[in-house]
Amino acid sequence: MAGYLPFYEIDIPTLYKKRIQIEGIKKHPWFKKNYLPVKPSDEEVNLDDVRAVFDDIEDQYVSEQSVAKEGGPLMMNAFEMITLSQGLNLSSLFDRQQKLALLKFDLLRHFTSLQCISLLIMVYWLVVADMDYVKRQTRFVSRKPPRDIISSVEAVAESMGLKVHTRNYKTRLERISANKVGEFAVVLEVFEVAPSLFMADVRKASGDTLEYHKQFYKNFCTKLENIIWKPTEDVANPSVLRSLTC
Amino acid sequence: SVNEVEALYELFKKLSSSIIDDGLIHKEELQLALFQTPIGSNLFLDRVFDLFDEKRNGVIEFEEFVHALNVFHPCAPLEDKIDFAFRLYDLRQTGFIEREEVKQMVIAILMESEMNLSDDLLEEIIDKTFDDADADRDGKINKEEWKAFVLRNPNLLRNMTLPHLKSVINSYFQYCTPNLVFLIDPLALSYLR
Repeated sequence: MAGYLPFYEIDIPTLYKKRIQIEGIKKHPWFKKNYLPVKPSDEEVNLDDVRAVFDDIEDQYVSEQSVAKEGGPLMMNAFEMITLSQGLNLSSLFDRQQKLALLKFDLLRHFTSLQCISLLIMVYWLVVADMDYVKRQTRFVSRKPPRDIISSVEAVAESMGLKVHTRNYKTRLERISANKVGEFAVVLEVFEVAPSLFMADVRKASGDTLEYHKQFYKNFCTKLENIIWKPTEDVANPSVLRSLTC
Repeated sequence: SVNEVEALYELFKKLSSSIIDDGLIHKEELQLALFQTPIGSNLFLDRVFDLFDEKRNGVIEFEEFVHALNVFHPCAPLEDKIDFAFRLYDLRQTGFIEREEVKQMVIAILMESEMNLSDDLLEEIIDKTFDDADADRDGKINKEEWKAFVLRNPNLLRNMTLPHLKSVINSYFQYCTPNLVFLIDPLALSYLR
């Protein structure tokens, strides 16, 4: 009816700016009609995630077998790697993140009964685009000595304006804004998965998930190109074409 | 107490109505709960779903939900957790965790972060693990080897305990209150429905 699609933009960042946030949707008259709000009851801020990543995880990992020779990084066997899977992490059943996802899905269900295409597209964008980033885990592999990995990470982080705090093979990267709002923090830990093969597990400790994936991680990995392992030959596998080893 | 059972039932209700509102948890609903998206497939999700779905009818009912979550309670016996994890990783249910299965799982976890390791690197990782876990060097891990391996590496079971369960349902599970044997009573469940 307007002669053009509401979300026809040339590049993704501009398209992203057009996104309406959940609050905007909630205020829209279409939305308010016949809507029963999902009760966002227990607003328990789950700090377990943050604490676990920085404080406890080291204790959890340490067993007599795990501590490597000459104070190297902790060792991680195949099964420990497997337990990192989101599919095996049932604590997310109780997560706040999950409640948000269910709310988004709830919205989508209500909107599919409408004829308004642009609203559908808007909700699609809200639901699918966000979810794609939320589910992705971030880690990379390197054959460089772990000390080099850590020092490269520190150098890159500092060049990105982040404060660095390292303890053994675990480092915390932080940006604290002037007004303390929107604090952004990342924790990276290096593990030995095989002789001369190391894996860096990178997690967002606080801050916006979208910012973590879109602005931080891609940039971070590009700068660490020389330490991150990449496949040498082209594997005849379509998924390799779009995937990064980072 | 009934309040605590209701709390667990509230969670079940929320999950089971997220996509198909029929009081049963479908695979897409479990996927949505764990991955915040119902799109895509994941090997571990499939395994978890299969182990929860004891009746093998393609859906998780409330009794199955509670029964499986029982194992994740902080007070549940270690033996049960070790057993559940073994069955989880025994992809083809042969009674052994074979090398090929471990390889498949390592590839799957790496795919979650879009990593594509070369075959020889994968073999290096699995070699090291099997050196440690496969005591009789037969290329597969049996139940006894798994148990011994887990006892040497207790963090392998860290995802087999949900501390949240303790705060949500305290005295419901028989493990924490030895004087109160609370078994799942079908009549009590039908009351909740």
